[in-house]
Amino acid sequence: MSFSVTLRDVSLNYGAEAALSGIDLDLEAGKVYGLLGRNGAGKTSLLSLIAAFRKPTSGEILVGGEPVWENAPIVSRVALIREGGDFDDTETVKDTIESGGIRPSFDAEYAYKLADRFEVPVKKRVSALSRGKRSVLAAICGLAARAELTMFDEVHLGMDAPTRDAFYKELLAEYMERPHTLVLSTHLIDEVANYLEEVVIVDRGRVLRHADIETFQGMGATLTGPADAVDGLGLDALAEQRLGGTKSITVAAALDADVRSRAAAAGIEIGPVGLQDLFIHLTDPNRNGA
Amino acid sequence: MTAPSLAKRQYALGAGLAGSALNYFKYWVVAAAVLCFVVPFIVAQYADVQLSAWYYAVNCGKWFTAFVGGGFAFTLLPQYVAAGLTRREFAVSQAVFGVVWSLCLGAIGFAGLFAERAYYDGLGWSQGFDVGDTVVPIGTAADTAQFAAYLPLLFLSYFAAGTVIGVASYRWEHTGWLLVVPILPIVFGLDVALYNTEPVGPGWIGFLGRYLDGMGRIPVAAAILLATVALAIAARRILTDIPMRSKRA
Repeated sequence: MSFSVTLRDVSLNYGAEAALSGIDLDLEAGKVYGLLGRNGAGKTSLLSLIAAFRKPTSGEILVGGEPVWENAPIVSRVALIREGGDFDDTETVKDTIESGGIRPSFDAEYAYKLADRFEVPVKKRVSALSRGKRSVLAAICGLAARAELTMFDEVHLGMDAPTRDAFYKELLAEYMERPHTLVLSTHLIDEVANYLEEVVIVDRGRVLRHADIETFQGMGATLTGPADAVDGLGLDALAEQRLGGTKSITVAAALDADVRSRAAAAGIEIGPVGLQDLFIHLTDPNRNGA
Repeated sequence: MTAPSLAKRQYALGAGLAGSALNYFKYWVVAAAVLCFVVPFIVAQYADVQLSAWYYAVNCGKWFTAFVGGGFAFTLLPQYVAAGLTRREFAVSQAVFGVVWSLCLGAIGFAGLFAERAYYDGLGWSQGFDVGDTVVPIGTAADTAQFAAYLPLLFLSYFAAGTVIGVASYRWEHTGWLLVVPILPIVFGLDVALYNTEPVGPGWIGFLGRYLDGMGRIPVAAAILLATVALAIAARRILTDIPMRSKRA
């Protein structure tokens, strides 16, 4: 069983400062979500609310159809793994893994197998681990939680590229073996883009866009060609670059057949826009258009 | 650790914490016992032994218990909430931890006083404690038992005090520790009043106890029990909607 997530008009204030405002969000059970946002956009605050790490200032949060706050049968099956993990640094890796056992679903055998595979020394104290190994330990605890809703918040920080690759593969293998709801919050968008089914973009405390990955892929295009010809298409550009007489624009709308044929006739090249590029443009504070 | 059922996990966790803590600090207890039996022997070479060394060790144990209650709560709360425990469950586990810890330390304190009594009797020394400017013998075996019977309650009151300060320090990062100002004089004062003595530590903090000297032990013990319950309720209230701190890069 996987958990769905529903937020209705959720707001969170830190003192007088609003971190999240009027969030309405529905995450279906059993999908892999990417949560994207610039620094300070509210990603971690949003995940903290879903995991009941914090209480919202207002609004309603349901996980698996039930209020998540102080709901033991629900929170025991929700895992939010934050950067560097939430550990007692004086404990050994072994003790840290064992303490995961307060979750009924925790799979210690799997955790030890992963610790062996990722070469995390179980007898070492957490405080003696490198940043990368500490991140791996956090990821191990998240995977071994066998939760119905697992959220990784920048957990890859400090991991080297081969370790990140192995982590993503293990994440996918675990997901395939035991479907559950998975949320990945990351700035390394291109690294995870292929794993995502839906993407939520948070910007300045609000949900800017929420759509499946195909919609995002079809949402944007890059058109490059003679400046006059590009301008002649009359498209709303998210951003534009100009080099001599050549102009390149990024648009956040699917191109219809008419535009495509006019662009081709004018010698304009149409290319896809990557999720990361689209994200950068969508969250650009100086952008114009949609 | 085998996964306990969801309904019982907070009790299992609390008992497990007490067991782990006692196991972790067992050599501290052994070291205290050795010191309490060796130091009077050395003192006896030069002067009369009149004071119970174990009584001093027990008093240090009370302060230590406050640190255990506060330190464990401060450190473990974020770890366990992140591992899927609710705050209410954490509060229950901390209460179980406190009761088991205090009963065990109380039992050790009780046994130690009787062991020391036999030791002192064997060597002809007097097992007494400070009352103002004089040293008062604890008395008969029945007096010793009555004297020691309050130890679990005292340990529990210090544990509760430490827990409140620990969770308040987590919740209010820069100011939570200031709760020591109202809490410590009350708990320490009641301790002073119970035995009409000056326990080990900064004695001036127990100034409130001097106003309760004449009440007798049972009313003071009842006041300690009430204070402990009030502290437990306060700790639970602070925990109820405590947010997890943000991670820092």
